[in-house]
Amino acid sequence: MIRYLLKRLFWMIPMLIGISLISFFIMHLAPGDITTTEAGFNPKASEESRQKLRELYHLDEPVIVQYGLWLERMGKLDFGASFASHQRPVFWETKDDQGNVTKGLIQEALPITLLINVLSLGLIIAIALPLGVVSSLTQNQLPDRAITLFVFIGFAIPGFWLALLLMYWTGVVHDWLPISGLHSLHYDQLGFFGKIGDSLKHLALPVFISGLSGLAGISLFVRNGMLEVLHQDYITTARAKGLGENTVVYRHALRNALLPLITLLGLAIPGLIGGSVIAESIFAIPGMGKLFYDAVLMRDFPVIMGILTIGSALTLLGNLLADLAYAWADPRVRRGVMS
Amino acid sequence: MRRDLVIKALSNPLALVGFVIILGILVVATLAPYIAPYDPNAIDVKAILLEPSALHYMGTDGLGRDVFSRMLYGARISLLVGIVAVGIATAIGVVLGALAGYYRGWIDVVIMRMVDVMLSIPTFFLILAVIAFLTPSIWNIMIVIGLTSWMGVTRLVRAEFLSLREREFVMASQTLGAKDRRLIFKHLLPNSLTPIIVSSVLGVASAVLIESGLSFLGLGVQAPQASWGNILTDGKEYIQFAWWLSLFPGLAILITVLGYNLLGEGLRDALDPRSANKNK
Amino acid sequence: MTTINNHPIVPMRLLIGAFILSGLAGCGAPEHTTTVDYDGDYPVEQGGSLVEATRGEPSGLIPMIAGESAASAVAANIFNSLLKYDKNLELEGELAKSWQVSPDQKTITFTLKPGLKWADGQPLTSADALFTWQLVTDDNTRTPYGADYKLVTKAEAPDPLTFRVTYPQPYAPALDSWAGLQILPEHLLKGQDINTTAFRRNPVGSHYYQLKEWRNGERITLTRNPNATQGQANIDQLVTRFIPDEASQFLELMANNIDSMALNPIQYARIFPARPDLNSKIGLYKELGNSYTYLGFNLKHKPFDDIRVRQAINYAIDKQELIDGVLLGLGEPVASPYKPGTRWTNPKLKPYPYDTAKAIDLLKAAGYEDHDGDGIVDKNGKPLSFEILTNQNKQREMSAVLIQRRLKEIGIDVTIRVLEWASFVGRYIKTGDFDVVLLGWSLSLDPDQFSIWHSSQQAPGQFNFIGYHNPRVDSLLERGRLELDPDKRMVIYHEFAEILLEDSPIVYLFAGYGLPAIHKRVKGIDNPAPPAGIGHNTYEWYIPRALRRNEISTQ
Repeated sequence: MIRYLLKRLFWMIPMLIGISLISFFIMHLAPGDITTTEAGFNPKASEESRQKLRELYHLDEPVIVQYGLWLERMGKLDFGASFASHQRPVFWETKDDQGNVTKGLIQEALPITLLINVLSLGLIIAIALPLGVVSSLTQNQLPDRAITLFVFIGFAIPGFWLALLLMYWTGVVHDWLPISGLHSLHYDQLGFFGKIGDSLKHLALPVFISGLSGLAGISLFVRNGMLEVLHQDYITTARAKGLGENTVVYRHALRNALLPLITLLGLAIPGLIGGSVIAESIFAIPGMGKLFYDAVLMRDFPVIMGILTIGSALTLLGNLLADLAYAWADPRVRRGVMS
Repeated sequence: MRRDLVIKALSNPLALVGFVIILGILVVATLAPYIAPYDPNAIDVKAILLEPSALHYMGTDGLGRDVFSRMLYGARISLLVGIVAVGIATAIGVVLGALAGYYRGWIDVVIMRMVDVMLSIPTFFLILAVIAFLTPSIWNIMIVIGLTSWMGVTRLVRAEFLSLREREFVMASQTLGAKDRRLIFKHLLPNSLTPIIVSSVLGVASAVLIESGLSFLGLGVQAPQASWGNILTDGKEYIQFAWWLSLFPGLAILITVLGYNLLGEGLRDALDPRSANKNK
Repeated sequence: MTTINNHPIVPMRLLIGAFILSGLAGCGAPEHTTTVDYDGDYPVEQGGSLVEATRGEPSGLIPMIAGESAASAVAANIFNSLLKYDKNLELEGELAKSWQVSPDQKTITFTLKPGLKWADGQPLTSADALFTWQLVTDDNTRTPYGADYKLVTKAEAPDPLTFRVTYPQPYAPALDSWAGLQILPEHLLKGQDINTTAFRRNPVGSHYYQLKEWRNGERITLTRNPNATQGQANIDQLVTRFIPDEASQFLELMANNIDSMALNPIQYARIFPARPDLNSKIGLYKELGNSYTYLGFNLKHKPFDDIRVRQAINYAIDKQELIDGVLLGLGEPVASPYKPGTRWTNPKLKPYPYDTAKAIDLLKAAGYEDHDGDGIVDKNGKPLSFEILTNQNKQREMSAVLIQRRLKEIGIDVTIRVLEWASFVGRYIKTGDFDVVLLGWSLSLDPDQFSIWHSSQQAPGQFNFIGYHNPRVDSLLERGRLELDPDKRMVIYHEFAEILLEDSPIVYLFAGYGLPAIHKRVKGIDNPAPPAGIGHNTYEWYIPRALRRNEISTQ
């Protein structure tokens, strides 16, 4: 296990370098150089921020030196300060001489996005698991077909359209749920449970919308995994031994079908961290997606680079954890490490 | 792709439905200039936001343009984006996957690390950043979607190649001194075709959705060109009033994406050896 | 201050508002069923909260640094200037009790009102005004607004109530500029880096409201300032929510969660008339904004250096069609670059009429005819075709499409490119890499438009990006800045507008109305809007207790 862990950690180094290359490449993708794309209409400010950008990314140095310095700053997790939001730190809070703490942009946005996506992941699993099992047990029969159709509709429906329809239905026609935002105006006056209830009401639609599109993937995965397991020898053996169908399905088949799900969840991590730009802007949620979108529109390079890099690095970490969990659960994996 | 597989896939009613949907949309998109009752960009300020009627089957938009005609032309754009983007992704994926699966060794390691790196970056962010910096246009959108969605195909092709290489007929031709190129193109690739097609079909569905998402953010296909994504986005502010502006493009996207998914999944099911010994 | 107008409707200092968010089910009776008489008579009373929504979050609340409209809308409730415009757009004192212009017209002496205080109780004196002037002219201050104030050669605060500025020569826009500079507190900012100070997110001002809470990414809450220099406003709290999507904003308005937003013409003219339920609770208002939309030619590119081509295009565009189609009639034609109805607008000028015959003649005179019979006019074998660039703005896109069709009728081939704002400005405007743009100008109340039309203002990032150069206009603009007598100034700017119309470096398309919708529980609104707009007296607005809902004690 230790050997496996070390190997995996070693492999993260080239991956991190790859990520740094891609983000570096994107920065240089802008026509001209990045300093000409500044969004403002202000001769003086743009000259200034141009100079700042030049300094920050050492644009006057040769490309290879620029990259080296970028790599160094990545290593130190130093992503500088945002241009658009007036020098708020991109990643983590800073303290000035007077002791005023300025929160980092990612520091504030990431927990919100993670919360929404963890909730929606929970929702997905809670719904997709039974759907997938039922689907596999009724393969090619009506329930299977109906479930397949349903989860695909969930995937295919444009999220923002459904979101607006639901916002209208639950917020305007009926007074069931708030339309947008994260907290009610009187949030601070609420008690502990009131606060939780308020937050849940605000999160209900965003979580539902972001969960709906993920339903298809997981439920089909469970269905196909179940089918595969159900056809394997040991299940046949179990059946032959006269074990009850329920025991066969839930004790043996489901458990084995669920194992690969761990890896799949690992792959879902970019989505978890990346969040949904569209859902966040429609529901006015200040998460990573909205932060990134605003940064793109403002050509706020430090934020763009910071999010791409931190988001990817966290994903790598998440994948590592998922793989470790899988390896821990299934000893066969440990042997054939990178195949 | 083997014919019996197609037949088998289409015996699955859902896959058949998907196939019919896609066929229908392809026909409609091809014949758009002949079916469309109006010029999709023709403005009529006296006919703004008319409800669907015999004159305008799907009503008119905020500029008095005929929504039905715009939907027909939008089908072309949406499908074009989907197909070209997936074409690019598939081309890259097949080449890289073939290289990795055939030569293995360090080539394989490098390529698979590239795949992992790309998979670790939130894709939609990557697309957003690149499109914004390159300025949105239909070509940039297709290229960028293509360049950010080749990883699945690469993995797939590699896996196919790895397993096919061990098969007897490949080993046999190899011992007979067949050249790499001949082996790849004559034996390995044709035999991997089915999964590639399946993943392409599913890829088109995602690309259509990505385009509509980009349109929502104002970074999709730009006006006045009509795509389903931007017709839907145009309509979003009047969703409760001029319902026809959002309902039709919303349904069109839904049905198309659904169609591709059903067909793709049906094909996958059909060629899956596991489903051969169904528990009937 | 002149700004490029990115948004179609930017109501000036418009504090549009709404009420305590009440969308929580189970929190009192559902409002839809309660019948409230919104149209009754209610006495003025204090209290309540107004909620408005804005698309973007301010980057900070120091207006000279932040610059964006979201920031200035909030900051306008926190800070005072020396002067302000009254409801009829005449200057009056705000922090200043009075002001005097010296006989040689080079020195302005402001006398402050006595006993002014900052929200934290510290005295507000002329030293603060001097400090603010030093800030805005400091080269380290990252502000686009320094130019006006740098003309001042001497600024002094001889006693706590007197602030005096001296210009090397008379500068007519000076008073307007002092109405635009919000005074900052020296005692809190001295020795700090204005660009990064914590004050930008925690401001202390002197106006009706002070910052209560800033929830990052969610909202800013202002509460009444007990030390306000201009008296007490009626409404207790102003809440600004950040809701990026306009469709979501409209839903919030319909659900009574925000009380106000700027409508677009379709919502105003089509949706509201069809929805009596909305009309019964939301009031619609109309005001002429300070902006106009235009088609601008890159005068450095052929064939737009030829006045005949520009005029031909002007004649070929049907402005009334644009107003009817794009604005659903909710706008006015424009013939000079000033707000229609103000004294700076030359009443004699009329827009170019829609006249295709004349347009075709002018094109012919310029050498453009359809020689090869392909329907597109050409000259020396080169067809007349160009691209109209505009940013993502529904009204501009629509205008471009209508113009494209009209120009096709006289044989000009037009393509349209719509871009998102940052690439539009960065990639095309600043580099001068465009043929024709469709944009808008938001105008200041002073008639000086030196920065837009003077030939010296063409550097990348400056406002004369179309490259307009006319010696007569240059000299009129220079003279207009030196002339303080309003009547004489009027003559100068009328002549300027006349030359501009004749020269046709841009085609004026229209000036749209601002269309604020405000919940009917808000009372005290001046309707119809005076020249200064609906928001000129927000401090007098009030929300009768009976119309407040689910009010939760703020303490």
